[in-house]
Amino acid sequence: MKHNQNIERDRELLLGLTRNDDRALATIYTENYPSILRMVLQYNGSEDDAKDLFQEAMIVLYEKAQKGEFDLYSKLKTFLYAVCRHLWLKKLQTGSWQLALPDELSEVLPADDTNTMAEHEEKDHQFRVMEKTMGSMGEPCKTILEDYYIRKLSMQDIAEKFGYTNSENAKNQKYKCLMRLKKLFFEQYKF
Amino acid sequence: MNDFTLIRDIERYLEGEMSEQERTAFEALRQSNPAVNEQVLAHRQLIQQLEQFGHRVALQEKMDQIHASMAVNDVLSVSQAPAQKKVFTISRRLVTNMAAAACIALVTSLTTMALMQNASRQKTTAQYEDVRRVLNNIQRSQNALINDMNNKKKAPANPGTYGGTGFAISNNGYVVTNYHVIAGADSIYIQNTKGEAFKAASVFEDISSDLAILKITDSTFKGQPLPYSLKPQRALRGEAVFTLGYPRDEIVYGEGYISAQTGFNGDSAAYQVSIPVNPGNSGAPLMDSKGDVVGIVTGKQTTSDGIAFAVKSAHLKRLLEEMPKDKLPKKEWNHKNRLEGMSRVEQVKRLEDFVYMVKVYN
Repeated sequence: MKHNQNIERDRELLLGLTRNDDRALATIYTENYPSILRMVLQYNGSEDDAKDLFQEAMIVLYEKAQKGEFDLYSKLKTFLYAVCRHLWLKKLQTGSWQLALPDELSEVLPADDTNTMAEHEEKDHQFRVMEKTMGSMGEPCKTILEDYYIRKLSMQDIAEKFGYTNSENAKNQKYKCLMRLKKLFFEQYKF
Repeated sequence: MNDFTLIRDIERYLEGEMSEQERTAFEALRQSNPAVNEQVLAHRQLIQQLEQFGHRVALQEKMDQIHASMAVNDVLSVSQAPAQKKVFTISRRLVTNMAAAACIALVTSLTTMALMQNASRQKTTAQYEDVRRVLNNIQRSQNALINDMNNKKKAPANPGTYGGTGFAISNNGYVVTNYHVIAGADSIYIQNTKGEAFKAASVFEDISSDLAILKITDSTFKGQPLPYSLKPQRALRGEAVFTLGYPRDEIVYGEGYISAQTGFNGDSAAYQVSIPVNPGNSGAPLMDSKGDVVGIVTGKQTTSDGIAFAVKSAHLKRLLEEMPKDKLPKKEWNHKNRLEGMSRVEQVKRLEDFVYMVKVYN
């Protein structure tokens, strides 16, 4: 049963993606990108178009994997292909690109996908707002927040890095930064 | 409690840095004060957003790295490719042979193409028939003869060699007909339903769309304001149309419908019309139910019945716009239609005065 084996392998890759395993990411990327690239080139798109489209599809996959509730019912390739198609359609509708949608991609999608895409759009919006907010944060706030919440450094390390006399001082600075971030973020983002 | 202490407390609460005592106190505060509770939820969400943001930025970076390494690989494989290519050495003899073969192939294909084109052209002319009329041996109707006698303006004694139909496109003597009706003409006469004939000259011809514009040169001609206009939009498939033409010496009414948006051999400047058409109908106006001109009848297909072709009115309009300024009829084809809502009998009665027989002598 070659088909089942493929699914099994895809599941493992997906688990790797959930664990932030770089090798799994690289495998998925290198195995699937060429076919998307071929498809986009075939319809007179550029290499950059293909890269944008595929990377966004990968982000959708990643978000789904991170949520931990992704049950793979089709091959990873099929899923990525469908997502690319959906994103393509979206880009067409918003007029952000001119490439016509190939007929073979106009097939009906699995019902689940509309949900996935709506979620992705919401996440994408949040991401853009956060990107903007973080961009407008000054130093050292930006780095402190990134170090603590994203790179997961300890307050002790951060205090040493920024030359605070103790971690309590660094913490106070972090609270101030958080206050600013919170204010800026919720000014732009309404739930 | 000010913002700073609140955010500190929330942060410590969420990070689990509070002592048991502080924790219970804070939870009580959360319960009693909805504003605080809201702040806690918002804070938690903010941190989540921030972490997701971090993940995504990291993911993007990783993907770009992967992409870059792939691109490098691609470049490598491309640059290696030419080296692997085999080089064929072509001997002199081979070149001569190949050149000879190529020449033969070229000659053969060109000949075939020429033959094929010739054959298809012959076939085309065989299928398409202009509907102008050879007048030599057609009896003139009694009606027309009587009209002739009553009028001082006499039509030339010779009934003409060819005949077609034309219709007025302005009130000052401009008439449109088919180019093939007047092609090679020595002199052209326009005759109305009353039998009055006027001399006319061709002022503009367009062979590709088979249209010609004539100007009545006789000073005795008196124009009237047109009751119809040229319809700029294209007529739709299935739209009812009618025509008035001179397949005989008397004006004849015919009725039909637009059957296709393209004419003979897919000509996009014409319609296919299902309407009875006979020699002499060439240049007849094709009117829609409102009495507006939608086309000009040009010909029919000989291989099957009931298939006629008409040049689209939009094409005529374009032609009028392209005409040299000094020859231009006044732009009167845009005026309001005065036939709308009339019965067909009334419409035809009004239209008759503007549809002429075109007689050609050569």
